[in-house]
Amino acid sequence: MDALTLNDVRKVYRTGDEEAVALDHATLSVASDEIVTLLGPSGSGKTTLLSISGGLLTPTEGTVRVGGDDIGDYGSRQLTEFRRDKVGFVFQSVNLVPFLTARENIAVVAGFGGRRSDADERVDRLLDELGLADRGSNLPDELSGGERQRVAIGRALMNEPSLVLIDEPTSALDTQMGEKVMELIVDEMRARNTAAVIVTHDRRMTRYADRTVEITDGRLEA
Amino acid sequence: MRLSLREIRRAKLRFGLLGGAVGLLVFLILFQQVLLGSLLESFTGALERQSADVVVYSEDARRSVAGSILSPEVVEAVGAVPGVAAAAPLGERTTTLSANGELVDGSVFGFVPGGPGEPTALVEGRLPASPGEAAASREDAADGFGLGATVTVEPGGAEVTVVGLTDRSRFSVSPTLWLTWEGYVEVVEAAEPDAPMVFPSLVAVATEAGEEPAAVAVDISAAVEGTDALTRSDAVAETPGVAEVRTSFLLILSLAYVVVGLVLAFFFLILTVQKSAALSLLRAVGIPMRELVTGLYLQVALVVGIGAVIGTGLVLLAAQGVGDALPLSIEPLEVAATLGLVVAVAGVGSLLALRRLLQVDPTDAVARPSLGGLA
Amino acid sequence: MKLGLLELRRRPGQFGVAGGALAFLTLLLIFLGGLLDGLIGGSTGLLRAQSAELIVYSDDARASLVRSRLDPATIAAIGDVEGVSAVGGLGVAQVGARVLDADGQPRTDEVESVAVVGYELSATEVPDPPPVGEAYVDSSLGASVGDVVAIGPEQLEVEVVGAVDDTSYLLQPGVWVSPETYEQVLAAARPDLAMAPGVFQAALVRTADGVDPDVVAARVDDATGSTSTLTIDDAIAALPGVEDQEGTFGIVIGATFVVVGVVAALFFALITIERTGLYGVLKALGSSNLGVVASLVTQAVVVALVAFALGLGAILAASGVLAGAVPFDLSLERAVSTGVGLVIMSVVGSLLSARRVWRVDPASVIG
Ligand SMILES: Nc1ncnc2c1ncn2[C@@H]1O[C@H](COP(=O)(O)OP(=O)(O)OP(=O)(O)O)[C@@H](O)[C@H]1O
Ligand SMILES: [Mg+2]
Repeated sequence: MDALTLNDVRKVYRTGDEEAVALDHATLSVASDEIVTLLGPSGSGKTTLLSISGGLLTPTEGTVRVGGDDIGDYGSRQLTEFRRDKVGFVFQSVNLVPFLTARENIAVVAGFGGRRSDADERVDRLLDELGLADRGSNLPDELSGGERQRVAIGRALMNEPSLVLIDEPTSALDTQMGEKVMELIVDEMRARNTAAVIVTHDRRMTRYADRTVEITDGRLEA
Repeated sequence: MRLSLREIRRAKLRFGLLGGAVGLLVFLILFQQVLLGSLLESFTGALERQSADVVVYSEDARRSVAGSILSPEVVEAVGAVPGVAAAAPLGERTTTLSANGELVDGSVFGFVPGGPGEPTALVEGRLPASPGEAAASREDAADGFGLGATVTVEPGGAEVTVVGLTDRSRFSVSPTLWLTWEGYVEVVEAAEPDAPMVFPSLVAVATEAGEEPAAVAVDISAAVEGTDALTRSDAVAETPGVAEVRTSFLLILSLAYVVVGLVLAFFFLILTVQKSAALSLLRAVGIPMRELVTGLYLQVALVVGIGAVIGTGLVLLAAQGVGDALPLSIEPLEVAATLGLVVAVAGVGSLLALRRLLQVDPTDAVARPSLGGLA
Repeated sequence: MKLGLLELRRRPGQFGVAGGALAFLTLLLIFLGGLLDGLIGGSTGLLRAQSAELIVYSDDARASLVRSRLDPATIAAIGDVEGVSAVGGLGVAQVGARVLDADGQPRTDEVESVAVVGYELSATEVPDPPPVGEAYVDSSLGASVGDVVAIGPEQLEVEVVGAVDDTSYLLQPGVWVSPETYEQVLAAARPDLAMAPGVFQAALVRTADGVDPDVVAARVDDATGSTSTLTIDDAIAALPGVEDQEGTFGIVIGATFVVVGVVAALFFALITIERTGLYGVLKALGSSNLGVVASLVTQAVVVALVAFALGLGAILAASGVLAGAVPFDLSLERAVSTGVGLVIMSVVGSLLSARRVWRVDPASVIG
């Protein structure tokens, strides 16, 4: 079963009388262990597509299936649960909770649902795998940019989602660091057989993925 | 300047809440200040606004006018003490007065016209000259104690006519009538037909020119057994309850001032911290620090101004609500002084924000590349 | 919720100033409340101590002991009214008193004000009248059993045979004596007001079981034709100052509670604005709206509780000094109600920001 299926998705933003078509007839399938990069210039609709896939935005038209379920039918409570359990996000800006340590930032998503009995172990393992074993009790302030990014990835993976959505993971980093982060993400996804959509405007980053989809003015072209 | 005003317009809720909080606190302060002033005036005004330099209580009275009772011999003995120019009986009775068809608790004072113990704050009409005449407090004029009104001293039924009005010369927070000593004796005799005679409550003393009233008071207490003589101002301050009331209100008021300072301090401090990024940007693009400081103080001034308006308005409202039991006299000068103190406290409170503001460094705007995140 | 607590622990400084302001407000509230309780309690102890249901004044007294006077015939007539199980005279003289030391000398130069109570019926707090020469004395006077107290201008000496609590009248400690002693003290202090034996200012009435006191009150007034009978509660409310003080303090305390709410509202408005981004992230990651608001409310509760503890601690530390200077009386009830009020107002204030938090769009953090 595909991790993500977008079928003829259209998104129109209305500001006053103006209409902006951010996505137009977007159709896309991501297999359950596939890593796809979404490449496009600024303003082309990448974040919009990602937000719709993760249940943060509702499409104007079209259907979105994640793990076979049509999330268009979900109410707001179900969407909240869906975001918590089924998808992992890594945001364009890292967005860690400033007063929580690295370990707590990763654990925080487990706390939203009922307590997971294996949460502590899982956090330890994630920290370890992400090379943050000795940084667990540092606050975001005390971490480097790359370390923060890794914490954010750990947070996305914490609830064992079937789909991880990553927005411009490398935009704030230099090329070398960017490649390292990209490698890390891809390794992590592959190790877990987790599907991922990685947004970027940097063509060099596409080589890590199984497949690249380009987007211009809201239209997808494989 | 324009920037700081625009900020207020953008953050109406926050500044509104702050203005409201300051307004309420100003109200609390003003209300209690007015309450304190009116309470004390109304409590001891009669003692404060009479002509005796020294008043003499019976020793056992614990400086309570109502608890003091002296014999006529004591009045004479006090008159003989060196340094005393004149001594006259001063009587006080707490009683029921009927004015305007309504019964109220009130006080009746008896003084010797022309002697020490005369009311000194006559504002309308004249002092009573014969039995059957009385001076009343202006504060009660509207409640049946106006010029020409007839008031009945209920037990005994003696009637007196108001011929003069005094200012803030009430006693024990109730309407007060000033009668001549003869008039007082008649009224009390009518009320207490069984009593052997009408005793003076206090001796009112005028000291000789050049004598220190405090010294004369000490001499009287020493010379005349069973007496406790105090200067007029000491008598007011030592009236049972006055010190407690003062201390209580003083504590309450200082706490309220502290809260005003703290609230203003934390508000402007947090605000300054929150916009420090924007502030360093402003500094980076060349806005002088002076401009930012002016903006800060403009905001403080506006908030305090709005608070003052709200607080004063609320006090005027509350004064009408409470006015029945205790006529609240709102003295513009006192209000102004209170508001001045609030402004001063606000100035001190905003120093924290000012310090933070002065630390804003234009280089911050470029030094730290945004790494994203909230950290 | 847990997140809210964590933030409080990690960044206490952020909450410090608001907590400080609330602590001072607590101080203010407890002080005001304690002062009110002290004033009212000290004024009403004498009446609250009574086990009688009714108190009878003369009808022209307008519920004032000082103005009231009942002769023996009237008191006897009250005893005959149906539904009255016991009647006893009551009189109060406010005079000076000195506690004497072992040598019979006053302990201090200060003359204390006391309310000498002549009574016939035992009260809840006070046994039957002691014999002449003895007294039950309110503990607030500072005299202990065995001490001798000299009361009134004649310095009539009575021995303290029992300590009683909370029996003050108009802020003066009660000195409970036999009617004879009372008459003697009054005659010495106010010869002009002296009373013949058997005359009292008022009478206390115990009603028979199962009879409505109000009905008995009406019967008493009918029977005597010259009295005004009140329930003890009404008599307490009619004491000079009681209602005025409650009203005035009510305004001040109420306004102070509103200030608490506004200060809390202000504070949370400030910090939530700073955190809209954070709330967006939390929501995008799957925290529910309710969860985010709960965390805010938890913070409000904790800040209020800590402020309350600080304020209460400060006032307890100062209460020794306070009690000497002002009629301050802190009861558990007052402390608890202030704490509850503080928490409620603080929560209400924080909820004002709930709307803003609720409206934060999780989609806003992406991009
Ligand atoms: N909330 C909104 N209201 C109106 N228009 C919007 C909104 N969000 C995005 N848009 C518009 O939709 C289009 C697509 O935006 P989107 O954020 O998806 O671009 P993007 O590809 O992620 O760009 P970038 O690489 O700069 O992040 C843009 O033209 C943008 O201006
Ligand atoms: Mg984007």
